[in-house]
Amino acid sequence: MIHTKTHDPNITVIRPGAERLTAVNAKAFKDEVTDLINGGATQLIVDFKDVSFLDSSGLGALVGVLKKIGHRGELSISGLSSDVQQMFRICRMDRVFTVYDDVNSAVQSMAESQ
Amino acid sequence: MSLPRLKIIVAEDSELQRLYLCSLINELGYHAIEAEDGHVALELAVETGAQIVISDLQMPKLDGIGLTLKLRELDLGYYIHVIMLTGADEMENRAEALRVGADDFITKGSSTAMLKARIRTATRLINHAAELAERTRVLKEANERIEEDLRAAAAAQRQLLPNLQDDIMGFEVASAFVPSAIVSGDMFGCFALNEAKLGFYAVDVSGHGVHASLLSVAIGHLVTPDYFRTHAFDANGRPDPANMIAVLNQRFSLSENDDYFTMFCGIIDKTSGHIDYCQAGYPSAFYVDRYGSAMSVGDGGFPVGMIPTATYDNNEHHFDTGAALVICSDAAAEAENISRQPFGSTRVRDVAQLFPSVRANKIPNEMVRALNKWRDGAPLEDDLTVVALERKASHDTHQNT
Repeated sequence: MIHTKTHDPNITVIRPGAERLTAVNAKAFKDEVTDLINGGATQLIVDFKDVSFLDSSGLGALVGVLKKIGHRGELSISGLSSDVQQMFRICRMDRVFTVYDDVNSAVQSMAESQ
Repeated sequence: MSLPRLKIIVAEDSELQRLYLCSLINELGYHAIEAEDGHVALELAVETGAQIVISDLQMPKLDGIGLTLKLRELDLGYYIHVIMLTGADEMENRAEALRVGADDFITKGSSTAMLKARIRTATRLINHAAELAERTRVLKEANERIEEDLRAAAAAQRQLLPNLQDDIMGFEVASAFVPSAIVSGDMFGCFALNEAKLGFYAVDVSGHGVHASLLSVAIGHLVTPDYFRTHAFDANGRPDPANMIAVLNQRFSLSENDDYFTMFCGIIDKTSGHIDYCQAGYPSAFYVDRYGSAMSVGDGGFPVGMIPTATYDNNEHHFDTGAALVICSDAAAEAENISRQPFGSTRVRDVAQLFPSVRANKIPNEMVRALNKWRDGAPLEDDLTVVALERKASHDTHQNT
């Protein structure tokens, strides 16, 4: 389901490929991102620009991916809608993930930190 | 292997031809049933349960086309295979017969082998349909058993919930609990902790359905008044709900999967109305004062069982007499209408704010009603819990410790 695009140096931008990341597709999302990580990707950005809704299962999958990367790499988030932003705030996820307004700022910041 | 003795109706006005066909069919091991025209064939089809009809095209009263049409209009719960007998010069009629629902053709004067082959084809299809029907029946039975078990699980889950509209230590407590499936991933509790304090909590396990409900029931059994007394007070006896959530977080972070839950819990002093609460990813509650002015309670906190190192904060609020506290799971704010627009926390607050015109014990059902209207009757996609507490004025307090 996910769409990926690689930016130099070795930054992978992931678009979930669904307007809603929920119990219906959270596992598929996590499995596919886990495959990327197992394939060696360590610098990941999940761009939520086209995602309007994230439920508790979607959030669980996202945190699962973060745990999978662990200290081996980095996972940033970009393009959160205001509703998803509100959910991130209530769950303090804004303290767990590095969140950027848009994917370009996320790529730039990740590239500079390498 | 002998063929099953299936019934075959032979609709043919020519007696000679009919008797000839019937004797052939009986010899093949089937049970031939004679019909001298389409009307009789139709009646016999209903009466005998025959699943194969061999029909002449030209017949008085009701011809082969008319018979096929009538057979297709019947609602018998099984399919009737129609084989049309046609003359070699009736090719055009075959198209019409196919259009009205005939399945196969035999040209009059064909060999016995041809008739046998056609009947075998029909038999194969009938047997296949019977196998499918049997599989469906087995699946349906299995599904009914599972649903029965789930209903029993749902009843057990509901028994864990406090009684609706309880009066606990001068607080009227009402709730609505609407699972999106038969069982729910939500849980809540409200009980006296000692002579002075009341404890409450609401939990929403990530996801929904059976998987989430197992965890919610486990939490329901775990988080008792004793659990509050043991973990939600510090060494000096001061309320410390954040510690209880931290203990739960340690316990539930051990699991390797992505399961977690959100929680809102608090301890209310019945005399002063002081609330110590901790919010762990659960939506903020709404406090509505006696004048109907609502404010959000809580500005967030980490969910439970997600991050082992998460820390939790205690917060405070004052619960005045005549005021209400409304706690509502995220199913309400996230409920989308037909245009995919979420109900939103502003509308949740608006319903909470119906208080005090509407008594707090009616607020949970008001929320359910508002969501039902918002979704135009469509069931919710996530489990909903609404708990409303009203601190009654002292003159109408029935102390029930």
